[in-house]
Amino acid sequence: MNRKKLYPWYFTIGALVIFLLLCFLPGMIGILYSFTDWNNFTSEVNFVGLRNYKEVFAGNSEYIKYIMNTIVFTVATTIMKTVAGLALALLLTQKFIKFKTFHRMVIFSPQVMSYLVVGLVFKSMLHPTTGFLNNFLRSIGLDSLARNWLTDLKLVFPSVMTVDTWKGMGYIMVVIIAGLLSISPDYYEAASIDGANFWQKFRSITLPLLKPIIVNVTVLNVTYGLRVFDMIYSLTNGGPGNATGVINTAVYKEFSKGNFAMGTTLSSILFLFVLCLLYFIIKSMENKEVDM
Amino acid sequence: MNKKLLQKGSIFIMAFLMSVFVFTACGKEQKAESDGKEEKKSVTLTFGSHQSGLPTSGVVQELAKEFEAETGIKIDFQISPDAQWRDLIKVKLDSGEATDIFCADTPINLASSMKFDEYCVPLNEEEWVSRIDENVLPAISIDDNVYGITFPGKKMYFYVYNKEIFERLGLEAPTNYEEFKKVCQTILDAGITPAFEATTNGWHQVLPLFETGGLYQQKHEGVYNKLNANEMDLKDIPELLTIIQQLKECAELGYFGKDYLSNSVENAKEAIATEKAAMFIAEAAWRNEIKADYPDFDIDKLGIFVMPWGDNQVIGVNPASNAYFINKESKHIDEARQFFEFLARPENLQKRLEGQPGLSEVCWPEIPGRYSEEDQAYIDTHDKAQVVQVAVNYIDSQWMDVGKDLESMYTDALTPEGVLDIIMNRRHEQAKLQKDPAWAE
Repeated sequence: MNRKKLYPWYFTIGALVIFLLLCFLPGMIGILYSFTDWNNFTSEVNFVGLRNYKEVFAGNSEYIKYIMNTIVFTVATTIMKTVAGLALALLLTQKFIKFKTFHRMVIFSPQVMSYLVVGLVFKSMLHPTTGFLNNFLRSIGLDSLARNWLTDLKLVFPSVMTVDTWKGMGYIMVVIIAGLLSISPDYYEAASIDGANFWQKFRSITLPLLKPIIVNVTVLNVTYGLRVFDMIYSLTNGGPGNATGVINTAVYKEFSKGNFAMGTTLSSILFLFVLCLLYFIIKSMENKEVDM
Repeated sequence: MNKKLLQKGSIFIMAFLMSVFVFTACGKEQKAESDGKEEKKSVTLTFGSHQSGLPTSGVVQELAKEFEAETGIKIDFQISPDAQWRDLIKVKLDSGEATDIFCADTPINLASSMKFDEYCVPLNEEEWVSRIDENVLPAISIDDNVYGITFPGKKMYFYVYNKEIFERLGLEAPTNYEEFKKVCQTILDAGITPAFEATTNGWHQVLPLFETGGLYQQKHEGVYNKLNANEMDLKDIPELLTIIQQLKECAELGYFGKDYLSNSVENAKEAIATEKAAMFIAEAAWRNEIKADYPDFDIDKLGIFVMPWGDNQVIGVNPASNAYFINKESKHIDEARQFFEFLARPENLQKRLEGQPGLSEVCWPEIPGRYSEEDQAYIDTHDKAQVVQVAVNYIDSQWMDVGKDLESMYTDALTPEGVLDIIMNRRHEQAKLQKDPAWAE
């Protein structure tokens, strides 16, 4: 490589300064504030050590529930979106499917809709008496399946996760389709000659070669899932009660109560958690990438 | 060589084009600014509110259009759901992104209120301030400085009930909880939802707890002052826990219907007008809103009775409601003042009262109220007392949270005792956060 052709290091200074000033520094200041009693009611800010963190992890605090809800939401939606996205991507790359582009567009379209709109539409569709879903179930004689989708404690979280999967799976599908199309047809041809069936080809060719894409998709889903806010806020506002509250709805609540320090504490916990998790996900998956 | 020349040439052209864009953009901005000084046609005031802050009839929007026709100043309304507004406006004000004018609930002078004196423009000098009911002024003032303009008169919540259904079933308006339960059971047996309840708005379900302040005052002398001085706590008012338990009992017995956790307050009109439900907690004039939406429904068959939770028989009076404020950070403070002056004109106050069917009176003494004779007679025969949230600190600020706690109770995630504990803890937490001297250790 001709080293003279490389750009000099100081070309990055502009971007670095902007990144440090606008992203890194505020983030660090936020973490520092989590060790104080910063609030809306007094201009005094005192150092309180780990008090806020202790409060979060104290025995019966609501925050633990929010953290658990966030983890459950992340794990479940990541699996659901990846499985659904992969299945749809496989289906919509098959030769026998007509109007593939149209189907892909329809499945992708929820992705471009606002979370607020999706939340409000589904809120009305899932209403127990006037909602589309229950009315549809009743009209086909399945009255027994009609439920309080957004107020039954057992159903509300699965309902929210299903709506979120519906909205997000199109994007995952598009990313996986791009990956599938980049796999050389020669592999499949050779496997067919050897007499491999669909599942054998899927297990031995598609899945290993899609691994880098699946790593990316998982990273995207996990970071989204841990930071989820809009979908829950618009669909249930964390309810009934606080049953579907997650870390970011709690952060929002603390900020609105004027308890800024607790808000930054929860954000800092989320930040550290996301950072650690992503490091391990990427580390564990990059070793297993297939060499082409 | 030619390639280098071409590269340099294209860089030069790009730089030239960028400079042209930058200067043209600046020039345009300046032009817009200078136009704005000559005539105010380009000014648009943003007005943020929750659903309940603006009458559903759209009378404020109509007045805004008249204001625009007169002055050329546009008003852009940004309406948010009730359940989210309190949090949203606080976050927006703190982050400097709030609208020019915003609507917020009053009173603003409690220790637990937002810091309106830091966020809003004082309006003492305005002519209209002297025309507002002087009993209402404290609710929109801090340290004798008036910060908002308000229109609704004092609020009194009752159970609005269908007299015809009651007569048909041989029932009378209940005066204590046991009678209320019997009434509910009879109505339920007739296949009608006894009391329509809606929790999705977040505020309605909380009314029985704190609109019954008269009961607490009767049983415990000086209760409001003692609560503010931290000399007693909410657990020392057993009637409050009783009411929470009664709410739970009624929900379990099916008196609120099947879907109260999915219902919204806006659905109540339909439920009452179609006689699917027999009672609803609302102001007396709420009946006029039904009339506006369901003209065929005879609202004379609707009566009112005091909420009998905890055997209460005192009407809760809330002199506060909501008010409009001008954001200190707004670039159009003068235009916003002009809009307030426009709204305060007597003819527009009259329009406001007429255009808001659910309003019994405005808090401007020059405009006569419109309570019916029957309502007035009923109200006159009952004791009245101030509601808890306007007199006791750290109640109103957690109103929506209490709504969520009650939702948790209805879904069995919390017990009535748990709800009370959480309300008390939140009060202590808020008081300590604000370094309230009564909570000093």
